[in-house]
Order: sequence, then structure tokens, then C-alpha cells
Amino acid sequence: MTGAIALAPSAPVQVPVVAQITAIEASLLAFVVLTALATALARDVLAAVIVFGAYSLGMAALYTFYRAPDVALTEAAISAGVTTVLLLLTLAKTTRIDHDVAFESVNLPAVGAVGILFGGLLLTMGDIPAVGSPDAPVWSNPEVSQWYLSESYAQTGVENTVMAVLAAFRGFDTFGEAVVVFAGGIAALIVLHREVFA
Amino acid sequence: MSDVRPGDETADDDADDVPPHRARDRSGRLDSERRQGTPYTESQVIMPTVKIVAPFAFTYGLFITFHGAGSPGGGFQGGAIMAAVVFMIAFAFGIEATREWLANTVVVALAVGGALAFAGIGLLPVARGGAFLQYDLLPIPVKYGLESVEVFGIAAIVSGVLMGLFFLLANGFDSDGSGFGDGGPVDEDADELAGESGSPEADRTAAADGGER
Repeated sequence: MTGAIALAPSAPVQVPVVAQITAIEASLLAFVVLTALATALARDVLAAVIVFGAYSLGMAALYTFYRAPDVALTEAAISAGVTTVLLLLTLAKTTRIDHDVAFESVNLPAVGAVGILFGGLLLTMGDIPAVGSPDAPVWSNPEVSQWYLSESYAQTGVENTVMAVLAAFRGFDTFGEAVVVFAGGIAALIVLHREVFA
Repeated sequence: MSDVRPGDETADDDADDVPPHRARDRSGRLDSERRQGTPYTESQVIMPTVKIVAPFAFTYGLFITFHGAGSPGGGFQGGAIMAAVVFMIAFAFGIEATREWLANTVVVALAVGGALAFAGIGLLPVARGGAFLQYDLLPIPVKYGLESVEVFGIAAIVSGVLMGLFFLLANGFDSDGSGFGDGGPVDEDADELAGESGSPEADRTAAADGGER
């Protein structure tokens, strides 16, 4: 939010510089879109998995750019790291077919269906507040978000508001999530007819 | 065809006929041949790299976990990073060896212990007449209550379950429990040769027959 202001130092502070897009942001967005397309179109599954890892890394960098380092860390660790490793391991247990062509042929009906969905989603873009906009609900409803920002340190003594919300204010939800992860491991054991992990 | 072991194709597509480099027998060590159940290529580049990187990556995971209160991060991210260090070691020194080195007990203890620790920290205030996870009723400061949930609860669950999923996938799947990796590529050929036959026994005999042709 402050970065957008820093881009136009001559402008008054209260003028929201929301329509600008920096070179880093633009290149990251282009990278993410290109790697997503390559993931969908790559013929070789191994290539798709590797490009998907690159996509996740681009998303992690984008989250960092948008000042969501907690989400970026999760994206980098889980999506770029662990998921890629698990997919590669699955590929290693199956066969890999050599292909002559690098990309799948484009399925036009599928492109049409996705295009209609994409167009419908694009229509909602007008109602989404711009990044850093002071009219965004997170800023215009201070009684909710500002309460957490001002009270989380006072009530929990934790500087990281995200963690204060996760572990304290929404601690019961987090307990549920942790149990879901635990249950996921148990479910994998059951599905694979095993009694031990190792 | 039926003699081809599943790892041989994945190790190197160009070297289908050449057996992969096997670790020399250094009994007791992670990379000894005795502990290798699946084919594994010993790389002089990957192993030293992992030896150097792993302590730093593990320390980073610990930092992310323990310092989640003061900086971005927390148990979920740190646990994932620590599990990723184990994946790294497994790729460098062999999954089978790592699986034996890091016993099932450790993985299960992390996952179950994490769930119990989170529940325990949540229920202790209930026992004292408060609400679930009411941190100010814990005998420690509120900040350390949050930290202990992140460290002993979430980080342990996430790292344990991720390691468990990794070893499960590496172990493979078979309906009779002996490992899907033993017949993966052969079964595909068998499907084409045997046509409609769906039962694994029929596939296996078809694979044995088809392998001779």
C-alpha cells in the first residue's frame, strides 16, 4: 500500500495511486500466467510438474510483493516445495512416456468453456477494490480489521497479527484445520491399505 | 520386459540397459547398499550439496516455527520446511535408507503428539473453568501459549503428516499390499495384451506371458 505511494513521490499522500502497475508486478503476473498456461498445455507430465513448481514460486513472489509474507511462505513451502516433490515421487513410481511434441493440441470446446467462465469472472473485476485502495472493505470497515490490528498485540503479546488471529482469536478453527491435516494422513493410510507410514 | 524394475526407467531414460550406479557397501551409513531397497543413483553433486544445505534449511525451518510470533511464519510453514529437509535427504541418500533411519515411530509420534498437544493446550483452560484455548488461564504468558500451540501442535502435525505422505507414496500401492512399484510398467502392457481382464491375478499372468514375446 505504501509502495504505490512511493511510486509517485510528487503526488499528495491522500491521492490513491491505485491504477499503476510496476515493472516487477507486471513481469511476475506475466510469469505466473505463462507458467500456468505451460502447465496446462505441456504434453510431458514431468515438464508440467516442473513448470507447475515454477508457477507456485512465481505466486509466492507475487504474494511477497503484495505484502502477504505468511501466505508467500506457505505457497513456497507447500506448493513449490512439498507438492512438487510428492508429484515427482508419484511420477517416479509410474512410467514416463516420451513425446515427440512439447505441447498438447488445443481443445477448442474446452477453450470456449474456459473462456466463457473466464469472461464471467472478468465481469466481476469492476467491483473488486484496487490494490491499496482506501475504499477497500478492509480499510473502510475499521471496526473489524483495525480492531485486530490494534488489539492483537495488547491481548496476546504477539507482534505477528496473522499468527495472533490464527492461534488465538480463531484458535478453534485452527485446531480444526490441524485435525484435518492429521485426518488427511490417516485417510492416506486407509486408502493405501497400510498400517505404518514408514 | 517383466524383468525391468520400475526405478530403472525413471533413473535415466538414456541408460535403460545400463544398471544405475549403486552405492558401495558402507554398512551402517545411510548410503550403504545394504539399506537400499529401491534403485537409487548416487550423485557426487547432490549428496555434498544436500550435506551442506540441509543444516541451514532445517535451522531455517526451526526459525520460521519458533519465531512465528515476531515475524512472518509459524508452525505450518516451518513444519513444511522441516519436512522438505527430510525429502531432500531422502532424494540424496535414498528413500529406503531414510525411511529406515527415520522410523515409523518418529513420524507417527510427531503427528499424533502434535494433535494431542494442541488438544491438551486447548483443554487445559477448560479444566480450569475457562473456554477452549483461553490462553490467559494457562500457567505461562499468553504469548508462549500461542507459541506452544504453533511449535508443539501445528508444526509437529504438519511435518509428521507430510513425511508420512512422502514415505507412503515412495512405498507405492498394491491391492495385496506388496507394493505397486513391483509391477507398474508391466501392468500397463498387460492391460493392452489381456484386453478386458480386470483382476490383478489375470494381469500378472498376462504380463508374465507377454513379457516373453
